[in-house]
Amino acid sequence: MKRDKLKQELQKIYYEVFDDTSIVLFNEMTADDIEAWDSLTHLRLIMQIEQYFNIKFTTAQIKRTKNVGMLIDMIEQKIVK
Amino acid sequence: MHSDLYTRLKKTSLDDYISILNIASKIEKIENNRESDIKFAILGSTSIQMIVMVLKALLACNDIHADIYEGEYNGLLSDTYDISSKFYAFAPEIILLIPDHRDIPKWPVYLESTEDVLDKAHNVADYFMDILYLIHEHLPNAHILFSNIIGPDSFPLGNLEANYIFSRESYCSIINLELIKKRPPYVTILDTNRLASDIGKIEWFDDSAYFLSKQGFSLKYIGYFCAMVTRQVIALKGMGKKCLVFDLDNTIWGGAVGDVGYEGILLDPNDPEGEAYIAFQEYILMLKQRGVILAVCSKNDEKNAKEPFIKNRFMCLRLDDISCFVANWDDKVSNIRKIADHLNIGIDSMVFFDDNATERELVRKFIPEVEVIEVPEDPALYRRTLDTANAFDQITLTKEDIDRFKTYRDERMRKDFSLGFDDYNEYLQGLEMRASFSYVNDKSLGRFCQLLNKSNQFNLMTHRYSEAQAGSMLDDTEYGLYTVSMRDRFSDYGIIACIILYFEKDTCYITDWCMSCRVLKKGVEYYTLKKIIEVADKRGSKHIIGRYTPTKKNDMVRTLYLDFGFNVSFSTQEGFCEYILDYDDYSHVFTENHIEEDAYFEER
Repeated sequence: MKRDKLKQELQKIYYEVFDDTSIVLFNEMTADDIEAWDSLTHLRLIMQIEQYFNIKFTTAQIKRTKNVGMLIDMIEQKIVK
Repeated sequence: MHSDLYTRLKKTSLDDYISILNIASKIEKIENNRESDIKFAILGSTSIQMIVMVLKALLACNDIHADIYEGEYNGLLSDTYDISSKFYAFAPEIILLIPDHRDIPKWPVYLESTEDVLDKAHNVADYFMDILYLIHEHLPNAHILFSNIIGPDSFPLGNLEANYIFSRESYCSIINLELIKKRPPYVTILDTNRLASDIGKIEWFDDSAYFLSKQGFSLKYIGYFCAMVTRQVIALKGMGKKCLVFDLDNTIWGGAVGDVGYEGILLDPNDPEGEAYIAFQEYILMLKQRGVILAVCSKNDEKNAKEPFIKNRFMCLRLDDISCFVANWDDKVSNIRKIADHLNIGIDSMVFFDDNATERELVRKFIPEVEVIEVPEDPALYRRTLDTANAFDQITLTKEDIDRFKTYRDERMRKDFSLGFDDYNEYLQGLEMRASFSYVNDKSLGRFCQLLNKSNQFNLMTHRYSEAQAGSMLDDTEYGLYTVSMRDRFSDYGIIACIILYFEKDTCYITDWCMSCRVLKKGVEYYTLKKIIEVADKRGSKHIIGRYTPTKKNDMVRTLYLDFGFNVSFSTQEGFCEYILDYDDYSHVFTENHIEEDAYFEER
């Protein structure tokens, strides 16, 4: 999957989790940029990404994720494998 | 908008955790301004935020709007042991406690003696019980749902875990058993351990999620967990199911009896499919034995439909087991309504099982209150499908439940008996009814609450009480809690009416009065009023005040007090009405009946 396409898919997941279709993802985006992005929504975000792309992140990956760019990197790595 | 989300959530499979979480989160955002029906507290030793969110949504789509208190982190201890905590100030009516195997303070050591292990397990159970006692002491009216311990998912002893009493696995089982032994009536144990086993503990526990955010179990199963809790809350609110309505052809036997006859239907221990139908019938019989009312609803000629019940040697179900048998060519929607009428139970207390998808859809569409089971194609799966639906969850099991089917059978005998009389009063006399009016005790408290919470039609106020609430009234001399038990020449009905009186100065208030619909039109209400007057008289009351609040279902008692000869003393536009009876009038009140006093009950 191309990185752009992947970003689009991820954006749809964000719409669902945050119930907000005005979200536009960018690499440096962090939890500070979305008001509702707390530990709970983060958990749902991870679950939904894992289910959608049929992948499973390691505990370390989930712990390390700081921004959207890293998240996309992680998904990309997992899908390629 | 709300109802859309509720419908979507109701239709969502419990496996679809992503949709459950997304819809629940949407519901959470819009639910805030609604007036709540119950105050609910959730305390756990692991993270409970997601549970709060999903449970609130699931309750809401079952028309229960809960105000939920979310316990502090590790609230199982911090909230309960702090008397000034927000938890106690919130004064919840229902409390959900979710302990975790990681809370267990002491584990056995290897090769410890059986006696010591049992002792330790006993102490651990007491450690949990102390929390329950403490809550009950400060919130005597609250009902507690206590999740049992899910055995750990690590087995350092390997297969030996199952061979020694000191293993972690054995130890958890013993603790759960101790909890059952010690369970007070205001506590319902949630069998989360079974839920986890059904799903598979390797799947149930999610270590990563625990290490990352202290989730006690995998959020993939949050729907299952919250659905289990919801069923208990529904049962607590007296909204549980009572009656199984099932089809015949290709449901409890293979083939159409109208075409192949009672000998031609597929029902045979020597045929794999035939055996599946037998297994399903055996399961239906088990439901009957625990108090579920059985009703047949089939498109057949009645004679054909009944023939297998009488003549087929492999039938487990006999005509006697069926409380209402409807076989005709009318549509099932009207037949189900007819069955509810005939059995005198609410249409919302019925569960429908039919192999025909079209019939199921029609029932779903026209009587959404009925719980329609999604029946799989393979009859071998029928038993499990009905079993895992857990449709008949209730809070207590009483003698009246176990004897219920007899009562319906005896009702038919009474009907035959009544044919010999031209005069209804003579028939009532012929029944040789005997009743007793008794003060509620520890033994009858369970049934007392069950009846108060399940009765909808003959129920003047429709207040619902937990055993904890009723129990605290027992200790209060201003209240009088009574039951009426009855038997006649055909059967022992057990407890069939509940009364709560409240005495203030020279007035006796009938706070609550309900009666089982199985004894309607037998004069029990006159007998009951006579006894209430006796009690009021003994307590020196000069007036008796009765109250009525209308609901969708209790129109049959709207004029009860007027019919007795009470006078209206107060009423509101909403239909609430208060009636008064003065002492001087007691003698004029009509309390004639054909019921004798029964000493047999007094002794018990």
